[in-house]
Amino acid sequence: MTLITRRLAGHLARGLVMILVVATITFFIVNNIPGDPMAARYEKLIEGGMSPEAAKQAVKVLYGFQPDGSMWQQYTDYLSGLFRLDLGVSVTRPGTPVLEVLGEAAKWTVLPVLAGTLLSFLVGIILGVFAAIKRTGKLGDALAISGSLLHGIPQYVLAMLLVVIFATLIPILPADGSVDILFEPGFNAGYLGSLAEHAVLPVLTYALSAYGGWILAMKSSVVTVLGDDFILAAELRGVKRSIVFRYIARNAILPLFTLLALSLGLLLGGAVFIEKIFNYPGLGWLLIGSVQDRDYALMSGAFLLITAATIVANIVADLFYTVIDPRVRGGEGAS
Amino acid sequence: MKRLAAVVALLGLATTTAACSGGSTNTPGSGGGGGGGGGGLFTTIDVTRPGLEATAPANPYNPKGNSFVGYNAMRIAWVKNHLTDPNQATPGIAASWEIAPDNSSITLKLQPNAKWSDGQPVTADDVRMSIGIAYTQGSTAFSITPGAAGAAADVEVVDPQTLKITQDMANPSPKFARGVLDTTVLPAHVWSSVLPTDFWDKLKSARGEGGDAEKAREEVTALGEKVIAFAPPKDVSAGPFVLERVNPSEALLVKNKNFFNAANVAPAQVKFLNYTGNEQIWNYLTQGKLDQAGFTATPSDVMKRIEAASGNEVIRGYSPVAVGMAFNQSKKPYDNVHVRRGLAYLIDREQVTKVASPEGGTAAATTSGIHQKAAQAWIPETVPQLEPYKPDVAKAEEEFKKAGLAKKDGKWTLADGSAWKVSMHAPSGFSDWLAAQENIKSQLVTAGVDAEVVTTADYPLYLQELAAGKYDVGFWLMALGPAPYDIFQRLYGASNGWTNVGNKVSHSAAGKNGNWMGGSEEIEVGGEKVNPGELTGKLNSVGAEEAKPIMAQLALAANQDLPVIQLWDYVNTQFVNNNRFTGWPHDDELLRGGGNVLMSGVWIQQGLIKAKQ
Repeated sequence: MTLITRRLAGHLARGLVMILVVATITFFIVNNIPGDPMAARYEKLIEGGMSPEAAKQAVKVLYGFQPDGSMWQQYTDYLSGLFRLDLGVSVTRPGTPVLEVLGEAAKWTVLPVLAGTLLSFLVGIILGVFAAIKRTGKLGDALAISGSLLHGIPQYVLAMLLVVIFATLIPILPADGSVDILFEPGFNAGYLGSLAEHAVLPVLTYALSAYGGWILAMKSSVVTVLGDDFILAAELRGVKRSIVFRYIARNAILPLFTLLALSLGLLLGGAVFIEKIFNYPGLGWLLIGSVQDRDYALMSGAFLLITAATIVANIVADLFYTVIDPRVRGGEGAS
Repeated sequence: MKRLAAVVALLGLATTTAACSGGSTNTPGSGGGGGGGGGGLFTTIDVTRPGLEATAPANPYNPKGNSFVGYNAMRIAWVKNHLTDPNQATPGIAASWEIAPDNSSITLKLQPNAKWSDGQPVTADDVRMSIGIAYTQGSTAFSITPGAAGAAADVEVVDPQTLKITQDMANPSPKFARGVLDTTVLPAHVWSSVLPTDFWDKLKSARGEGGDAEKAREEVTALGEKVIAFAPPKDVSAGPFVLERVNPSEALLVKNKNFFNAANVAPAQVKFLNYTGNEQIWNYLTQGKLDQAGFTATPSDVMKRIEAASGNEVIRGYSPVAVGMAFNQSKKPYDNVHVRRGLAYLIDREQVTKVASPEGGTAAATTSGIHQKAAQAWIPETVPQLEPYKPDVAKAEEEFKKAGLAKKDGKWTLADGSAWKVSMHAPSGFSDWLAAQENIKSQLVTAGVDAEVVTTADYPLYLQELAAGKYDVGFWLMALGPAPYDIFQRLYGASNGWTNVGNKVSHSAAGKNGNWMGGSEEIEVGGEKVNPGELTGKLNSVGAEEAKPIMAQLALAANQDLPVIQLWDYVNTQFVNNNRFTGWPHDDELLRGGGNVLMSGVWIQQGLIKAKQ
C-alpha cells in the first residue's frame, strides 16, 4: 500500500466518523431549537383572513409531515435515512426531498463563491509576490495596506457598500436575485448575460473580502522564501531573474494551495449575509429561511452538507499537499 | 499553474452548466426572451408569502406552491372584508350566487364562459372535486371536525353550471356562505387522481359518529398530506394567468387566453419578485420596480423615499386588524385592573402610532376589542359609552394608588415596596412593534414607571414563549374581522382560556391549554357578571341582529377590563405605480380583500387595471 493510499484510507475513516458525530450533534441541536412554527403559521393564516378553525386545521395538516415518535426513534430514523442519502422531506416544501432542495440552492452558492474565491486567489497571489518583492517601496506599502483594509472590512459592510455604489448611486448592476426570469433558461446569450450580470456584485463582494487574506498570506510566504539559502545561491550563480522569480513563486505558493483547498471546502457554507443582502438564492439564504420556518429536516440537511464539505476539503487539502510537496511525498512530513 | 487554470475553467463551465440546466419548471413554450410585449409586463410580489421556491409545484395548498391567488389560482368568489357582512364577495369562478334566507344553503352559478388554460370548460364537477380537496385541508365550510360550526352537509351538482351546497343546521354559522365562496377551484381532469374513488362515501362516514367515523376522519385528514404534496405536471389555471416558469428569484406568469374575461386583462405577463424580508420590498419600491405591492410595515423615512419614487402612489383602505399591548394577568401587578387602566392612561396612542406605524395605522380611539370602523358600524350606540383612556397622568396615578402601588423617589413601586419594571417583548424584525415599544417605554419612564423592551429572536420563539407565560407584556394582533366571532376570539379565545369545540365553550385555568393571558373567567361589566368567553362563543352561531347586543357587551367588557390596551387599528396600505399601469381602485370597498388573496390579481381580472398608453 502506497503512502498516499494509506493516508487516503485513514482520512476517509476519520472523515466518516466526524460526519457521523456532526450529524448527531446537528440533529439534536436543530431539533431542540425553541420556537413554535405551528403557532407562527396559524397567526399568519388568520392575519390573512382565514377563520381560526380553518387555520387550525390547515396547520395540523401541514405539520402532519413533521416526523413524530420519540427523539431517539427520530434519530435512528434520521441515521438510517442518512446511510441511504435520504435526508428526509422538507416541511415547508411538502413532498420535496431535502436533498433536492439543497441541490437546487447549492449551485447558486457554488457559482459566485467559487468564482469569487478563484478570482481573489489569482489576483491575491500575484499582487502578494509584488508586495513582497517591493516591500520597501510605495507600491509594496500600498498593496499591503489594500490587503489589510479589505481583510478588515466585514463582508456584509462591503456588500452594502457595493449595493449603494452600483445599484443606488450609479444604478448599473442588479443587486437582487440571480437571473431575470424573462430569459428562457439555457445556453443563450440573454440568459447567460443576465446570469453573469446578477452575479457581478456577489462575486465582487466575495473576491474583495477574500483578496486581503490572499495578498497578505502570499506576501508573508514570499518574504520567508526570499530569505532561504537556495534563492541566494541562485542569485549568486547568476540565474536569470525570471527563473528566480519562478523558484520564489513555486515555493511560496505551497501553503496557499492548502488554504485554497480549505476555502473551497467552505464554499457551500457560502456567506449568509451576502446571500441575504443580494437576495441570492444559495445555501445561506436557504438556511435563514429554514431556521425562520423551523424546517428541521432542511436545517439538519443544510448544516450537514456544509460540514461534510469542509471535512472533505480538509482531506483533499491534505492529499493535495502530499502530491505537490516532494518532502511530504517522500515521507519526511508524513505523520 | 497551467493545471490550475484548466481546473478553474472546468469548474466554471460546470457551475454555469448547472445554473443553466435548472431553475425552470413548466415551460409551455411561449414567453421569455426578454421584454414584456402585448399589454406589457406587470411586476409585483406575493406579500402573503416570502421566498419563492423553484422546485415547488403549482399547487395552492402547498405552502411554497407557485400558485398566486388571484392570478393563476381562482376561487369561487373573492370574499370581502365588509364591515358587518362576512358573506359579501366579488364574483370569481361563480358569476352569481344565492344564499337561502335562513342561511341553510348557497346555490352557485358558474361563469358561463369559464375555461381552463388548456381549453377545457370549468364545470360544476370541477367545483365539487375542489370542495372535496378542501375537506382534506379543513376549511370553515368544509370541516369534518365533529360539531364544527358552519360545516356543509351536502354538495349537489344541479347542472354543469350550477351547484347547491347545504349547511348542517345542527350547528349553523352566519359565515357559512363566506366559507363556501372562499374555496379554491382546481381542474378535476388534473387533480381527481388525488382523491380515492370512494372519497365521498368516506366523507359521509367521517361526518358521522363512532369508531368508523373516527377512522374515516383519519383517512380524510391523511389525504390532506397527499394533496399538499401533489405536483401537477403543468399549471392548468382558470385565472387570468398561467405559470410559465420559476427560478429562485422570480416567477413568470403569462396571460391565459382562455380566461373568461381575457379581453379585459391588461398585462401580457406578470413577474413575481422574490423577497425574504421587508428591506427587500422597500428596495424594490424605492426603485419604482413594483407596479403593486400589498401592505408592508414601513418606517416613515423609508415611506418618504418610496413616495418620492417616480410614479409611486400609496392607496389606503380598511383592514380588519388591530394591535394591542396584551397583559399576562397571572403576573403581578397586571392581575389588577387598576394597574392596566393606569397604564392605559399613561400611553399616548397617537404618539405611539405616529412613531411606529404612521402610514399603516390609525391610533385606536379606545380599547374595544374591535376595529374602530367596524365598531361604528356594528355598535354605534355603545361606542360613546366607552372610556377613551385619553392620556391623563392624574387619572393614571389615581388608578395606580387604587391598585396599592406607591411612588418613591419619583418611581412607582409595587405594593410591597419592591421595584416594578414593565417588561415588553416583541419579535426581532417586527420594526413597527419594536418602535412602538421603545416609544411606550420612553413615555412610561417619563411618568415614573420603569420599563424595558426585550427583543425575541424570531416570531416562532416569541409565540412559544408568550404562550408559555414567560412574558409580562407582549404585543398581540386582535380585532380580526369581519366575522364577529373571529373579532373577539382574539381576546376571549384560547389565549385567554376559552376553548370552543362544536360551540361548546370550556375554560382552562391560567397557564393551561394555551391560556397565557390569564384573565378571570367572569368579569363585571356595568355591575353585571359576564363570561366573555361564552359570549364570544355565541357569536359563532347567531345572526347579525342577535350579535349586536353581544358585541356591545364584549366591547364594554374589553374596555373596562383591559386584557389588552388597543394601540392602533391597521390601515390597508397598498403601494402602486402609475408609470406603466393605471386604474388603481381608490374605493375602500374594492380594497377590502380577505382570505390571503392578492387583490391586484382580482383587480386585473375584473378589467380595472389598464396599461398606460
